[in-house]
Amino acid sequence: MSRGSGGGYDRHITIFSPEGRLFQVEYAFKAVKAAGITSIGVRGKDSVCVVTQKKVPDKLLDQTSVTHLFPITKYLGLLATGMTADARTLVQQARNEAAEFRFRYGYEMPVDVLAKWIADKSQIYTQHAYMRPLGVVAMVLGIDEEFGPRLYKCDPAGHFFGHKATSAGSKEQEAINFLEKKMKNDPAFSYDETVQTAISALQSVLQEDFKANEIEVGVVRNDNPVFRVLSTEEIDEHLTAISERD
Amino acid sequence: MGDSQYSFSLTTFSPSGKLVQIEHALTAVGSGQTSLGIKASNGVVIATEKKLPSILVDESSVQKIQCLTPNIGVVYSGMGPDFRVLVRKSRKQAEQYHRLYKEPIPVTQLVRETAAVMQEFTQSGGVRPFGVSLLVAGYDDNGPQLYQVDPSGSYFSWKASAMGKNVSNAKTFLEKRYTDDMELDDAVHTAILTLKEGFEGQISGKNIEIGIIDSDKKFRVLTPAEIDDYLAEVE
Repeated sequence: MSRGSGGGYDRHITIFSPEGRLFQVEYAFKAVKAAGITSIGVRGKDSVCVVTQKKVPDKLLDQTSVTHLFPITKYLGLLATGMTADARTLVQQARNEAAEFRFRYGYEMPVDVLAKWIADKSQIYTQHAYMRPLGVVAMVLGIDEEFGPRLYKCDPAGHFFGHKATSAGSKEQEAINFLEKKMKNDPAFSYDETVQTAISALQSVLQEDFKANEIEVGVVRNDNPVFRVLSTEEIDEHLTAISERD
Repeated sequence: MGDSQYSFSLTTFSPSGKLVQIEHALTAVGSGQTSLGIKASNGVVIATEKKLPSILVDESSVQKIQCLTPNIGVVYSGMGPDFRVLVRKSRKQAEQYHRLYKEPIPVTQLVRETAAVMQEFTQSGGVRPFGVSLLVAGYDDNGPQLYQVDPSGSYFSWKASAMGKNVSNAKTFLEKRYTDDMELDDAVHTAILTLKEGFEGQISGKNIEIGIIDSDKKFRVLTPAEIDDYLAEVE
């Protein structure tokens, strides 16, 4: 007589279920979707752009303190989709790690090294019972010295891939379908096209037109590799360009 | 580790004497992408499917076949994140051996130490077994070798083996095709044909990965162009 599902704990801590699944990791993915925000990242020929919704639930909240875009170093940005508290822990540790890397090795931490570090940390949480997986999907962006613009996505399972374009959050699958159609023929987007593809993807998937203060946009460019959050004026320019184009 | 609260093992015996967590780990391996390895008379080849979740993923950022030392390579079926942990630990063990004995680690020793790590995670407190099976390919003074390591930590030397979704068809195919005096080129062709058997969609240099080691004792991963050349030969 076999014990079946290991005493029923396979849903509470990260041990295997009889089908070989990790329920806690799957539930972490659901937590990312439950946050109600969708984010999109697009990599162009010489720039990377990430866009996310900015939902301020209470008018009394200080809008400037509500953000999902975090600079990790001057050149690396991180867009965290999901549980904000988990995101802040991750960002804090990532900042520490990137600073130590710079001190230890004498050069800036590359994008893929940071993404790998985040993913390896997430893997530990999927294997050790004492910590739960974080309910965050992290998109890391930066300009790599060798490979140019890079966009990586790290998830609660510890997977990380480089992406030409990707999405995370509640409308992740619809956004990915939209982006697959746009990127099917491997286009080489200019900076403006990159930003506008990302913003219009978000608008199309959520079926609403945004005002400049309802979204956050972060970019890195070859000619200015510093991670920058766009101001509302710049976002407005892109929104106008999109509506004139349509 | 901050898991003093979990100083009891999560992998415990069932009344019938089975370690169910290990069996579940094997199920996780069995639902992973197919991978295989073939030992030839003058080298070893390992190969795997590389199916990515979307065309938006940059396939050049993903490498499933990794090298542990200049003359030992490894491929997996199962959970990618767990594989990365084992690669990191194995590389460190190989370096520590080299530091102590001033010579490259023999394949059997590296496999044994990696397997010991995997066994630890089936017995230690507060951790689950690794959800990967590894195929380790190496060439040292004992010639070409191929080992398979399972989540339980048990390992065997194989002439040819397969793991993952299509394991039974692949193994039957390999049993028919394998000969003891096979050369490395034939082995690569056989590996490609075996992968093709269970492959959904159009096989190409971009959705499979192949790693080889021949008598020059240098493990390397083939470029997509080289794989396409082999595919053309197979047609």
